[in-house]
Amino acid sequence: MRGDAIHLDAVTKSFGATPVIDAITATLGGGEFTVILGPSGCGKSTLLNMIAGLERLNSGKIRIGVREVQDLPPKDRGCAMVFQNYALYPHMTVEGNIGYALKVAGVRQPERSRRVAEAARVVELGGLLDRRPSELSGGQRQRVAIARAIVREPRVLLFDEPLSNLDAKLRHGMRMELSQLHRTIGATTVFVTHDQVEAMTLADKVMILNKGRIEQFDTPHAIYYRPASSFVAGFIGAPPMNLLPVTGGGGVLRLDDGTELARNPHEGPAILGIRPEKISIGDKGFAARVVYREDLGSHTAIVARLSGGQEVQVATPIGMHLDPADTITFDFPQDHLHLFDPATGLRLETP
Amino acid sequence: MIERTRSIDIAARIILIVGVAFILAPLVIAFLTATLSYEQFVRNGGITLQVGTHFLDNLAYIWTETALPAQLWNSIVISTLVAAIKCAFAFTATFALVFFDNRLNRIVFGLTLVTVMLPLELVVITTYQIVANIAMPLNWILALTGLGEITGLGSDLRLSLLDTYVGVAAPIACASTSVFIYRQFFLSLPRDLPKAAAMDGAGPWRFMWDILLPLSWTPLVATFMFWFIGGWTQYLWPLVAASTPDAQPAVVGLARLATTEQDRIPEVPMLMTGALFVSFIPVLLIAVMQRQIVRGLNLSEK
Repeated sequence: MRGDAIHLDAVTKSFGATPVIDAITATLGGGEFTVILGPSGCGKSTLLNMIAGLERLNSGKIRIGVREVQDLPPKDRGCAMVFQNYALYPHMTVEGNIGYALKVAGVRQPERSRRVAEAARVVELGGLLDRRPSELSGGQRQRVAIARAIVREPRVLLFDEPLSNLDAKLRHGMRMELSQLHRTIGATTVFVTHDQVEAMTLADKVMILNKGRIEQFDTPHAIYYRPASSFVAGFIGAPPMNLLPVTGGGGVLRLDDGTELARNPHEGPAILGIRPEKISIGDKGFAARVVYREDLGSHTAIVARLSGGQEVQVATPIGMHLDPADTITFDFPQDHLHLFDPATGLRLETP
Repeated sequence: MIERTRSIDIAARIILIVGVAFILAPLVIAFLTATLSYEQFVRNGGITLQVGTHFLDNLAYIWTETALPAQLWNSIVISTLVAAIKCAFAFTATFALVFFDNRLNRIVFGLTLVTVMLPLELVVITTYQIVANIAMPLNWILALTGLGEITGLGSDLRLSLLDTYVGVAAPIACASTSVFIYRQFFLSLPRDLPKAAAMDGAGPWRFMWDILLPLSWTPLVATFMFWFIGGWTQYLWPLVAASTPDAQPAVVGLARLATTEQDRIPEVPMLMTGALFVSFIPVLLIAVMQRQIVRGLNLSEK
């Protein structure tokens, strides 16, 4: 089975006067795993609901494959959805839950049982078909929800923060399974989350939303290494990228108080971004004072204060012992700098 | 946690026993009185704690000589109708209120509030006029539009529901108390449930029938019991709406037992026997359905 591409064309939605989705245009590749990522309230769930047909568009068009679907009811769009709280039918058995869509569609009994059993097998739910949702663990309910979605063999699979109710260990296991499932089924998958780890690990492409607009829509690699805006830079990475206001002139970037941070040909004001793990600590560069330290085993995260008062997060290699109030010397390697326009927040390509 | 200590235990028990005695006293008196013959009762000069031997005789009299057994059937039908109408309308109305966004929802919900605050006793005359001729609104329309003249129907159609089961039951059922209970219950259901049903291809009706109704079974049963008993104990409206003993429910018939002749001391033993006889079915219902009722009023899906 192959999934259909989803084309969003100036899709707009507002609740009252506030726009939630602001003229989004994008193509979600057929068979690809697209993650929609953003802070809460950025409109990501609304966008997913609009693709599913659970929410009406104010204007714009959605095409799935070659069909325009924005005016079709959910069942005619070929989409299936997995909900955050699973939304299983509490009074039905696992078999009833998985098979309900088929029942509504008029699929008759031997055929229905066969397809339910097949979907249950894919998500490894074998012996639980006659249980009720209340008798299942969180992970098992999740599997039922997924089986219910794939039983109709949808062209598009939609996930609305499906892993947020699981504990950390289960979440990791589920991530791997979802990734495998996607490869087996091949349906176009759209996955909404606010968890960047899920986005980076699962996605073929990540769509980062902020206030109803696309900040960046690219591969996880590109989002990490070439963030398109200071918002993306500050959103992705844990701890996130340091963002410092600087002024460029004479081949050097300086803080307001004149401290030279790095060499760069940029002229005029900019936002300088550098990832915590790219800052090197040594004897050349500029001074900073350690204010806080967190020992995380694999590395130590420190917060240091520059001479102008700005705080910078640094991930230090193993074996380096730093205590609050120590003075250290930073160097920002030129290759790992990101520059953003201070007015628009957009990435500045350095020549 | 309340600590279990001896003194608290004893105090709690005493309070319980006093409470139970307080509640049961009228029942005990009713039962004792029901065991007396009329002559014994008159000789005692009022209610005493004497135990008589005439209970079965009294019961036999009620069973064979009065209209109560037939009226018991009236009560069952009327109470079932009351409960069914109430539950059905409240369920569908709440479904619409909770699962469909509309700016009028608040107004509609406010209006349902009004029906709770407007007891039937207050509007009994208007209600009588309507039930006496339910074609009244149609007549208005016919007269107003002139359609009555054109079609030859006139504007004086008559259809009385007095002395019918529906006529007695429907006005009692016109209160929306259940809407509050169902609303709380519906709001406690997983929010994505209707969305999941929509994704599975179920339209609103299908969702209501396949998912909401089975889930709501316990609150439905509990409220049904409530309104059944509520309908059973109605007095004023059935008295007004049903003028013949054939159409009256048992509670109205019971009151008739007491007032046969004006100058006589009322047949209190017979009245008490009748009261026990009439309340037997609701008591039995509560006894059987106790757990369902308690569970249903917990207001959340299990």
